[in-house]
Amino acid sequence: MDDILVQALIQGLLIGATYGFIALGLGIIYSVSGVINFSHGDFVTLGMFLCYSLWSVLSLDPYISIAITLPVFIVIGAVLYRYLIQPIVGVHMLMIIQLTLGVSFILQNGLLMIFGGQPLRTPSAFEAKLLFVTDSVILRLTLVVAFVVSLILACVLYWLLNRTDFGRSVRAIHQNPRAAALMGINVTAVRTITFAAGFGILAIAAGLLLPGTPAHPGMGLRYTVITLMVIILGGMTNFFGIVLGGFLIGVSEAIGTVYVSGIMGMMMPYAIFVLMLLFRPQGILRRAS
Amino acid sequence: MRSGALKFLSSPVFWLIFAAAVTMPLWLSPYYLGVATIALFYIGLALAWNIVAGIGGQMSLGHSVFVGVGGLLSSALLLKLGINMWLGMVIAAAISAALGAFIAWLDFRFRLSHLSFALITLAFAEMGQLAAVGSEFLGGASGLFLPPDHGSLLNFEFGGQRGNFYLLFTASLVCLIANLVILNTPLGYYLRAMRDNENAAQAIGVALLRNKIIAMMISAALTSIMGTAYARYSGFVDPYQFAAPHVTVEVVLFATIGGLGTVLGPLVGAGFLVVFGEIVRGQLGGVLPGLHFFIDGVLIIVVILLMPRGVVSKIAEWWDRRHAAAPENPKIIAETATRT
Repeated sequence: MDDILVQALIQGLLIGATYGFIALGLGIIYSVSGVINFSHGDFVTLGMFLCYSLWSVLSLDPYISIAITLPVFIVIGAVLYRYLIQPIVGVHMLMIIQLTLGVSFILQNGLLMIFGGQPLRTPSAFEAKLLFVTDSVILRLTLVVAFVVSLILACVLYWLLNRTDFGRSVRAIHQNPRAAALMGINVTAVRTITFAAGFGILAIAAGLLLPGTPAHPGMGLRYTVITLMVIILGGMTNFFGIVLGGFLIGVSEAIGTVYVSGIMGMMMPYAIFVLMLLFRPQGILRRAS
Repeated sequence: MRSGALKFLSSPVFWLIFAAAVTMPLWLSPYYLGVATIALFYIGLALAWNIVAGIGGQMSLGHSVFVGVGGLLSSALLLKLGINMWLGMVIAAAISAALGAFIAWLDFRFRLSHLSFALITLAFAEMGQLAAVGSEFLGGASGLFLPPDHGSLLNFEFGGQRGNFYLLFTASLVCLIANLVILNTPLGYYLRAMRDNENAAQAIGVALLRNKIIAMMISAALTSIMGTAYARYSGFVDPYQFAAPHVTVEVVLFATIGGLGTVLGPLVGAGFLVVFGEIVRGQLGGVLPGLHFFIDGVLIIVVILLMPRGVVSKIAEWWDRRHAAAPENPKIIAETATRT
């Protein structure tokens, strides 16, 4: 019994690191441009299908495919911001929600037209490898890889935001875009770069999540909702809050599937999400930074 | 746009279209009559949603809950408890209205931002679908079959396809009238004032809570009635068809492409896109599943970037410019300014 709990906890922490990593992408985009991207999860799906195509055509391992999908996603992110999002930023929040829902529709159904509705598996070198922590606590190596890479990249992101001039301009725009512009910061450029970076994160996360996960065109909304829950738990723009939120969602999901059965267990994350939005919109960590 | 809509409603063009719609069962083939019936369902939903989102500016992504209550609960009441579906429709509408009032109260009490409101209602939609899937009473994941239609009006049976067409027609007409009435009564002015600037509206004495609750209750009850009517047409109800968040997202796209906040926008948007989507699906569904949704997605992006007030407003502007002696209509310019 205890082993099951340990297993669920560890598995939740491992997957939660990747959730937190994806949510950091959404968080930095939100912090500089106030945009919530409702197609965030669908781009994770797109990344997975790109990796799948690279495997089926060139038989590349998903981990190697990231080297190709990453630049593609960075360009997609920059183009999406400059030509679709930027013209309507500041017009009305609803417009951005509707526009990104439209992008989500295009991706979901475009993938459905190309790949069909069957879940597709992509094999990887590490897929079958297992790590034995104790006799009965067994972990898939792919999850450990995803955990380590996500945490390292989250640290890199933290360093970028807090120790570089680019990070300072990001934080300046978050505090006051107009004042930042008056200080000589090119607001549009910084916002475009953060969009590109946020999408780059999605390409990496898609490659990390893919081994062992069957890809399906309709799974994007689920990732979007998970990501939204994580950044709301984290207080939208709080770096540590978001990482912690990722762990919380990952662990509660893993424990929920083991211990809580039925619809109450499945509704739990949404209920927590609603209560958080109502009573603690500033997130689990008090200080919003 | 309001006066434009009224002008349109009193014009012979409208009554020609209205007459064509009423007589549809006489000249349409059964297949296209079915398409028209589905279009009427979405027109009703888009118009009901328009009351809250278009006129009131509250972007609810949770309206699928009300469709689910209307469709699933009324069917379950009939099949499990033997309650007449007319009464079931009223019960479902009352429950939906109560849920709507609760959501509106949450919105007011916690002063939710547009984003938080959209997210919370989306979470309610997900929970609603899960609850419906898990509920034995509502038929669970396998759904419920309504008893065959014997054409007995007292039992909410309308005698097959033609009757169901008129049922959906009447229900969506009620939604249309509700929109027109709200736009032309104080409630509509309050709602638009709240949409454009909530603090300013409150400062000049608009009762936020009261108006939010009334608008949401009307919208929820109408959505629920559309759900019951569609359940009768479809003859089979399940959570994936009635309570899925996807239903709301489709309605959002249709209404926005047509033009939010107006009466004709959601009507024309939903009507045109559903018919178009069904025809594309019928022709190419086997080869390219999802093509019609793909096109809808492209359309909404084009509309938002090029004509943010919707296709219908654009056409109306063009129409006015052609027919008015003055090249520039000051009313439209003023309204464009307030909308953005």
